[in-house]
Amino acid sequence: MLDNKKVGSVMIVGGGVTGMQSALDLADSGYYVYLVEKSGAIGGAMAQLDKTFPTNDCSM
Amino acid sequence: MTLSEVTNIAGTAGNFQVTVKEAPRYVDVDKCIACGACTEKCPKKVDSEYNAGTGKRKAIYVKYAQAVPLKYQIDPEACIWLKKPGACGFCQTVCDAGAINFNDTEKIHEINVGAVVLAPGFEAFDPKEAKVWGYGVQPNVITAMQLERYLSASGPSEGHLVRPSDHKAVNKVAFLQCVGSRDENLCGNGYCSSVCCMYAIKEAVIAKDHVPGLSATIFYMDMRTHGKEFERYLERAKTDSGVRFVRCRVNGVETDGNTNDLRIRYINEQGRQVEEFFDMVVLSVGLQTPKHVLALAETAGIQMTVDKFAATSDFAPVQTSREGIFTCGAFAGPKDIPQSVVEGSAAAAAVADLLAPARHQLSTAATFPTEKDITNDEPRVGVFICHCGSNIASVVDVAKVEEYAATLPHVTYVERNLFSCSQDTQDMIVKRIQEQNLNRIVIAACTPRTHEPLFRETLKAAGLNEYLVEMANIRNHNSWVHTKDPAHATAKAKDLVRMAAAKVTFCTALKPISVPITQKGLVIGGGVAGLTAALNLAEQGFEVHLVERTNTLGGNALFLKHTWSGEHIPTQVKKLIEKVLANDKVIVHMESEISKVEGFVGNFETTIKNKEGLTRVIAHGIGIVATGAGIMTPHEYCYQTSKRVVTALEFDRLHELKEKHVHSARNYVFIQCVGSREGDAMYCSKVCCTHSVQSAIEVKEEDPTRNVYILYRDMRTYGQREKLYRQARQMGIIFINYELHGKPQVIDKGDKMEVMVHDHILHRPLKIEADIVILATAIRPRLDAKDLANLFKVPVDGDGFFLEAHAKLRPVDFSTDGMFVAGLAHYPKPVEESVAQALAASARAATLLSKDEVSLDAIKATVDPEFCDGCALCLDVCPFNAITLVTREVDGKVGKMINVNKAKCKGCGLCQGTCPKRGVYVGGFTMQQISSQIEAALAV
Amino acid sequence: MSFEPKIIAFCCNWCSYAAADLAGISRMQYPHNVRIIRVMCSGMVHPELVMDALGQGADGVMVLG
Repeated sequence: MLDNKKVGSVMIVGGGVTGMQSALDLADSGYYVYLVEKSGAIGGAMAQLDKTFPTNDCSM
Repeated sequence: MTLSEVTNIAGTAGNFQVTVKEAPRYVDVDKCIACGACTEKCPKKVDSEYNAGTGKRKAIYVKYAQAVPLKYQIDPEACIWLKKPGACGFCQTVCDAGAINFNDTEKIHEINVGAVVLAPGFEAFDPKEAKVWGYGVQPNVITAMQLERYLSASGPSEGHLVRPSDHKAVNKVAFLQCVGSRDENLCGNGYCSSVCCMYAIKEAVIAKDHVPGLSATIFYMDMRTHGKEFERYLERAKTDSGVRFVRCRVNGVETDGNTNDLRIRYINEQGRQVEEFFDMVVLSVGLQTPKHVLALAETAGIQMTVDKFAATSDFAPVQTSREGIFTCGAFAGPKDIPQSVVEGSAAAAAVADLLAPARHQLSTAATFPTEKDITNDEPRVGVFICHCGSNIASVVDVAKVEEYAATLPHVTYVERNLFSCSQDTQDMIVKRIQEQNLNRIVIAACTPRTHEPLFRETLKAAGLNEYLVEMANIRNHNSWVHTKDPAHATAKAKDLVRMAAAKVTFCTALKPISVPITQKGLVIGGGVAGLTAALNLAEQGFEVHLVERTNTLGGNALFLKHTWSGEHIPTQVKKLIEKVLANDKVIVHMESEISKVEGFVGNFETTIKNKEGLTRVIAHGIGIVATGAGIMTPHEYCYQTSKRVVTALEFDRLHELKEKHVHSARNYVFIQCVGSREGDAMYCSKVCCTHSVQSAIEVKEEDPTRNVYILYRDMRTYGQREKLYRQARQMGIIFINYELHGKPQVIDKGDKMEVMVHDHILHRPLKIEADIVILATAIRPRLDAKDLANLFKVPVDGDGFFLEAHAKLRPVDFSTDGMFVAGLAHYPKPVEESVAQALAASARAATLLSKDEVSLDAIKATVDPEFCDGCALCLDVCPFNAITLVTREVDGKVGKMINVNKAKCKGCGLCQGTCPKRGVYVGGFTMQQISSQIEAALAV
Repeated sequence: MSFEPKIIAFCCNWCSYAAADLAGISRMQYPHNVRIIRVMCSGMVHPELVMDALGQGADGVMVLG
């Protein structure tokens, strides 16, 4: 069976708001997620914005 | 994994070997407690990337104050020690936690995964190289990202808008749009970045809020505010905030010499050359794909577009050219936050489709010992006081607090820890709970907002109910804010511990509520969005009921021919329908409508009624609303009276059929924004500019001698669609801008239509003789959307579109748990955005459907039947409609009482605050608990 | 001895309590007289609790949310 070879884990490259959303949804639906981020912390460009950011937590 | 980059992807879909290179951080993340002592002592300062170069950071730093992980890192490019070992090393000396490791090395990880999602994002265009408008030369010319940092309270000037040259307050600011976008000469980026119009308006509005009397002007070509609620924001910026908008091309930005004021020359709408002075000029820089991401694309072996974004199909917007590798966010084209979040979820859906057989293969659920029943035990409170390195201990006399805590009622054990949150302390706390037989815990440390979940886990590991812990915030609310007043800080720490101990004594074991989930979905609407969502859920392995009102599947897409990128819609829709019908997990209910809805997340029971009036009840765990939208019928421009005036969709049809009066026409006039962006319909229909430009190109391509005019207000060919607009102009299609106050006039002359419009370039009225006039009519919400909304208890907005839970961060969720929205029902959008949103809705739904039960937080309202007299005051205040009134019988007397639906309750306690009889309480925050805190606070 | 008022502040977990945390992170210094009680929403604060606090000697009560 080809299906048996499928691995139940996912790598997400990029820890901005998009990558985080993808990571959360996958982790919440039963997959093991590796979130790879180039810089020292996740958050991406949205964390730099002043007023769109409604709360200070980044939903992780 | 931070500081990490992908260097190779081998293998195929379902089974990839990914090589990840992790750069050294030089700080041990397990030891670093983010106290900041290292940064304080570090002597090396460099420009802060986070502040876009407007401020400085040290060589050892944390990216930003709320960073996750909140761990410091050393910049090897700047660090003195790393450049010359032995030269500095201050950070190592001051770090109490011993986290600094100068010998840290690069690590290579080989990781086996089933799929890869690329979400590497964008970079802002850097205008320095091309010296756009004097950037990099003139100190007061800054980028929008820099302004964002100046306006931020956490920015370099703490939110005060000052000029970089002399730190003088700014009184007059100009925004120049399209820097690094829609410009092939200066930057090579021909596309539109989609987000800059909106962020410039937002920054202008906020800047005006910050500086009373500030004058803000936005110089632009087209205002592209095509997103949901954007048009209204634009109107409010004009009318309420008084932001000035000038449509022009700026000729030059020059300095005044000694004052560093900036002179802008432009041609105003009357055609005159004007000069104006500004204190500050902000460049609205565009988005582009950074070099390292282009390298990543090459590593991944995926195709890119000419604009250097990941190439995708409009019907599979997150699938790259390599199977098993997905993309989302700005990597697949410039886009805003909501669309990026949608694509993040959409990519999750696409992955889940691919890896459906392997779900739950590698994820594990944590196990805990059986919980001890403490209901009848005397409270035995254990207090753990954290030093937080020196963060607390250097201000608060923790030994005195320890001594004091031991004297408090019910406290049987007190201990101090260097770091209460460290793994070894956690293990130790578990041990102490067991050996000292503790049944209530106080942690005097930092904030429960970040650390309560950790300590709850600790209690669970010790066999105690997780809600028997209370934190005393003696760091954020004490040692950090009373640094220079140790005596009072110590006294306050004692108070806070006393308050926490008093409250925890009244804590009771709370049970998280679990609700079983019916692992089936219901999708309402059989258009592209509904079909896509249903198919994805089915391919993920869930049973789906698809309800369609008409006798055809396909929805509005049946009227369309090509997507903006030229994909043939009928072929793709046909394929989609075939796949849905072939999938035995999708149960299609044609000619059926929803008549009744009961239940809540995980447990809905929906009644559908078919044409014959027969009803059927469907049990489902989630619902997706994809009911689409309608088209408005115009009442202007002689549409009702002349057959030479048609809507865009009618035109497509007539054109395809080569109908004579369309085919033989010489002069074609398109009129944009018919029914959009005016009056009660203050929203942009988003798709019509692109549609008209596409049709115009086709007409012109067939016969280049035809005259084609497009009369528009703002040409909104956003993102990579800009290429169509460019092509149209090159082909000689004539674009004439009109304003709302000078709408075109269409006069029926029998064999011709006469179109009058004011030409802003020639500055005179223009008369066009048209053989056919094509109206770009607005997309309208379904009139009965409100009825469906009422059935499912989900909201619609003022325009009549369904309203999502959060405009930015939860763009497909409803505020009602378990309900999602996709497609035109949410807002006008093109096919690929509908598909992405449908996939996203499916992914969000799958997070629920993949579980057997939903576990909800135990902080919920509970009725006290002894006191509740059914006065129902709480019914009106409950924001979640979680409370209902029920009849009960006490001692033979029939009375009323409230009933709380725990699945709907969010524990806000408005009911508790309203109840005059103490008939309802929120566990963990009862009146008794809060009273005990008040009493303890005021006891000394 | 100078007068040292005692102030009770009810802070909503999602906004004002978070703001007080952030004040700490930013090392903003403020008088030590305030005692914060965390609630899940400022709407949870029953009027009786405010009376309670004032009755027991609080010099001021803040409900922040």
